Amino acid sequence: MTHTEDKKSMLSQGIYIFVYLALLTGLEFFVAVTFKSVVLLVVVALVKAALVVYYYMHVYKLNVDGEGDHDSYEYKSGTNRLGLWLFLISDSFVFGGLMVMRINLLGLTHPNLNQLLGLGVTSVLLVSSFFMNRGETMIKNGDRQGFLNNTLITFVLGFLFLIGVVFVEWRIAAHEGLVASFGDPAKGPVGGVFYMMTGMHAFHVLTGLIFLAIVWLNGRKGLYDQKSYPVEAAAVYWHFVDVVWIFFYPALYLIGTVIV
Amino acid sequence: MMKSRSVGSGLLLLLVGGVIGYGVGLGLDFVVTGVLNFSGSVAGLFALLASVTAFFFGVYGYRGITRGLVWQVLGTILGGLFVTAIRFLMGLRGTELFGTFFFSEPAWVFGALVGAVSFLFGVGVMDDWVKWARGIDTPEHHEDKPGWEKYLGVSLDHKVIGVQYTITALVLISVGGLFALIFRTELAASQLQFLTTTFKLFNQTGPQIYNALMSLHGMIMIVSILLGISGIINYVVPLLLGAHDMAFPRMNAFAFWVAVPASVLLLMSLILGGFETGWTGYPPLSSRGPVGVQMFFLGVFVAGWSSILGALNVIATVMRMRAKGMTAMRLPILAWASVATSIIALTATQLIGLSFQLVMFQRLFGMGFFDPTKGGNPVLFQHLFWFYSHPAVYVFVLPGLGVISELLPVFVRKPLFGYRWVAMSSLGIALVGFIVWAHHMFTSGMNEYLRVPFMYSTLLVAVPTGVKFFSWVATIWGGKISTPTPMLFVLGAIIVFLMGGLSGPPNATVSVDLHLHDTYFIVGHFHDTIFGGFVFPFFAALYYWFPKATGRRMNEFWGKVHFWLMTPSFLILTFGMMRIGLLGMRRRIADYDPALGFDTTHLILTICGFAIALSVLIFLINFFHSMKHGEKAEGNLWASRSPEWQVPSPMAAHNYEVPFEVVGEPYDYGLPGSKYIEFAPAQGKKH
Ligand code: HEM
Ligand SMILES: [Cu+2]
Repeated sequence: MTHTEDKKSMLSQGIYIFVYLALLTGLEFFVAVTFKSVVLLVVVALVKAALVVYYYMHVYKLNVDGEGDHDSYEYKSGTNRLGLWLFLISDSFVFGGLMVMRINLLGLTHPNLNQLLGLGVTSVLLVSSFFMNRGETMIKNGDRQGFLNNTLITFVLGFLFLIGVVFVEWRIAAHEGLVASFGDPAKGPVGGVFYMMTGMHAFHVLTGLIFLAIVWLNGRKGLYDQKSYPVEAAAVYWHFVDVVWIFFYPALYLIGTVIV
Repeated sequence: MMKSRSVGSGLLLLLVGGVIGYGVGLGLDFVVTGVLNFSGSVAGLFALLASVTAFFFGVYGYRGITRGLVWQVLGTILGGLFVTAIRFLMGLRGTELFGTFFFSEPAWVFGALVGAVSFLFGVGVMDDWVKWARGIDTPEHHEDKPGWEKYLGVSLDHKVIGVQYTITALVLISVGGLFALIFRTELAASQLQFLTTTFKLFNQTGPQIYNALMSLHGMIMIVSILLGISGIINYVVPLLLGAHDMAFPRMNAFAFWVAVPASVLLLMSLILGGFETGWTGYPPLSSRGPVGVQMFFLGVFVAGWSSILGALNVIATVMRMRAKGMTAMRLPILAWASVATSIIALTATQLIGLSFQLVMFQRLFGMGFFDPTKGGNPVLFQHLFWFYSHPAVYVFVLPGLGVISELLPVFVRKPLFGYRWVAMSSLGIALVGFIVWAHHMFTSGMNEYLRVPFMYSTLLVAVPTGVKFFSWVATIWGGKISTPTPMLFVLGAIIVFLMGGLSGPPNATVSVDLHLHDTYFIVGHFHDTIFGGFVFPFFAALYYWFPKATGRRMNEFWGKVHFWLMTPSFLILTFGMMRIGLLGMRRRIADYDPALGFDTTHLILTICGFAIALSVLIFLINFFHSMKHGEKAEGNLWASRSPEWQVPSPMAAHNYEVPFEVVGEPYDYGLPGSKYIEFAPAQGKKH
């Protein structure tokens, strides 16, 4: 499948990708509850991330516009796009560092968390990415109302994710003794690792939500009917937050054995 | 009102503000603790903040940087009060709620963060972005008023920002240098002379102050280096590329201004109990010390954003804003070096930010990352920290090495030898630099089998670095050398950096490093690399591009005095450090045993330190004096081929009136008929 430009095939491409991602997430969960192959979990996460980066974040767009009038909107959007990707590269070093920390401190164990809730919030974030992609495709094709509706759905789902992690998951965990300061020499600093990773991710979700709200409000005024790059930026950022979770979810919920 | 504003009234207000701030702090402290602590932290802190703010108020009025500082102070206090109120509601009272430092630690951390963000809104760098978020468009450029006033407020012009960076770097170098003079004086003889255990300042004893000054010297100098290279890059690189500005002018301004509250935070750390860890901030020491450690971590974290966003901007600018015909292999070496530096700064900086954040959270919430009693791992901190901090040393030096390669052909009138190799060696150093970090950890107790691979990867760095030396020597070979001040500093840089480079491989060799680690040999080594790779080239660049920015040149005689005073003093300083290091002098201690017999050497080192300070003072006077009174120099003073010298100085507001096209090689000096650029016929588009 290659990337396509017209609206209809773009939308259906979004659906295909979503179906693949959903199937892979199911596979991931299945592997984790049955034969627990770490290698397979890593491979699945990498494939999922690659799908999002290529089709939803359309990384290939970095490559298209070369020479041109430096003052045109196209050229400037190209520069902005490069800037955004550089920022994401930088940001992924934070998450990479957290991942290294987690591997070093917890190894092949993971905290005892509510598996259904984990799968639930993961699905919510995945579905939000799907709607984000639709919203972006629609504004590119001049469909303002469709863009607004889909962005609103994305926002609501993102908000649900945030509630799910910060107000439900954190509470349950703390209730069961997994507080931030929890840790002992045999198990590792489980509390610190768990709250730091989910917290840093949740902070990025929050900034993504603010970005979405801004884009939605300005979109209502018709600001992006012609010049839609800000929508693309918000979408790419949102998908990036999703990609991070694609790695954090197995790292915190699925890989290895439960620490008791 | 406007007329009376001057440095004079600024200094007057500095005094008044300091006294008032001191009084307020003293009073507050008394209310909370019930004792009048004249050398305490709270009084000192309020005096510092009030005096700096009042100074800028006197010079500039209530706008720009003054407003930023006022907002920072208010933000810090409000943020601190907010947390204190919450803690009060949680049932904490009395000394639990407040403490030696007025606010409790969580209140200081949150307050300081709020303060730093408030600064950015107060100074006005967020204005356009807030407007964009509300759907209001803004003009692409904002015109600056002529005169000096634009430098103390937000400007989007890369040349103004470059100057702002440079001046801030010079201020920080002076502050960091002053700290060094203080603790160097203490080291001049064995035993404690004035920083004694009965000495009291900011709730610290003499040796504690020694440690705090030593640590802060390191970090302030690092920040000043980061700002210094940003200054040169910001000013020069867009001119080399033929761009009318950086790719993201607002982010450029943001990256500069965020460094100002960060510097304030670093200074606050000294007063709020100091930090005794050295610039590396290793836990467990850093997870125990007073609030000052938190301010230090936060200050570095905030300064890190300056570096990250500045780097992002540089990469985007070089990739997207080049003049027609400027292909990769016709890009000036300084632009290549800037990109290589920026790749590191963009990515690795996040890791020092993360490692410091983790310690901050460990202190605030009891998270156990580096605490073995909770299953944490202190060595993990060192890995995260050095994953940035080794590559960071190349952030410091690559632009400087770029400056050497950029200027050398101009002053020997010969093509740069091996352009392609030099361009690629910057990237090579940057990439290899990512895989050597654990050479700082040979004695840390990390897995022993890691030592040998890290030893070899470290030695590998010498290859691309050697390429650069080879190119410099071959470029000089048989050239028509002239030695105005910038060239003197270029030659000095090469020699000093060579000394740093030669003292590196012994450290990298495990067996030798087990002896050398944490001695003055290391201190000598890295001062050589940093002076050779940054300080000397920085001065060269300032002498060289000064006329471009001001239309005047700096005084040659005093420039030469600066060079001839600084270079020998500096070489003696570092050789002396290496000598006593080899004989067993530990680093980071306030005192040493007289029986070691290092007294004479230490005395010489201190004298050299003061000589260097004197030479820098001469430079500073020359620098500021020449801005107004220097000899006029509006043409191509150095007979350079580079585009910025083909137009009159000082540079026009939007750079080139007429765009140029690259038609030849950048460094073909002395080849008859060769051309680098050609300006388009006159009707070229204006930006
Ligand atoms: C040939 C190239 C170099 C080699 C082989 C090398 C090797 C080393 C090694 C192995 C250490 C650790 C020694 C120890 O703590 O036991 C070290 C320390 C250091 N090096 Fe280098 N180095 C090189 C170039 C540079 C450059 C270019 C810079 C900076 C501009 C630099 C700055 C530093 C600093 C700041 C430290 C001390 C860090 C600290 O502990 O505070 N080095 N070097
Ligand atoms: Cu190193």
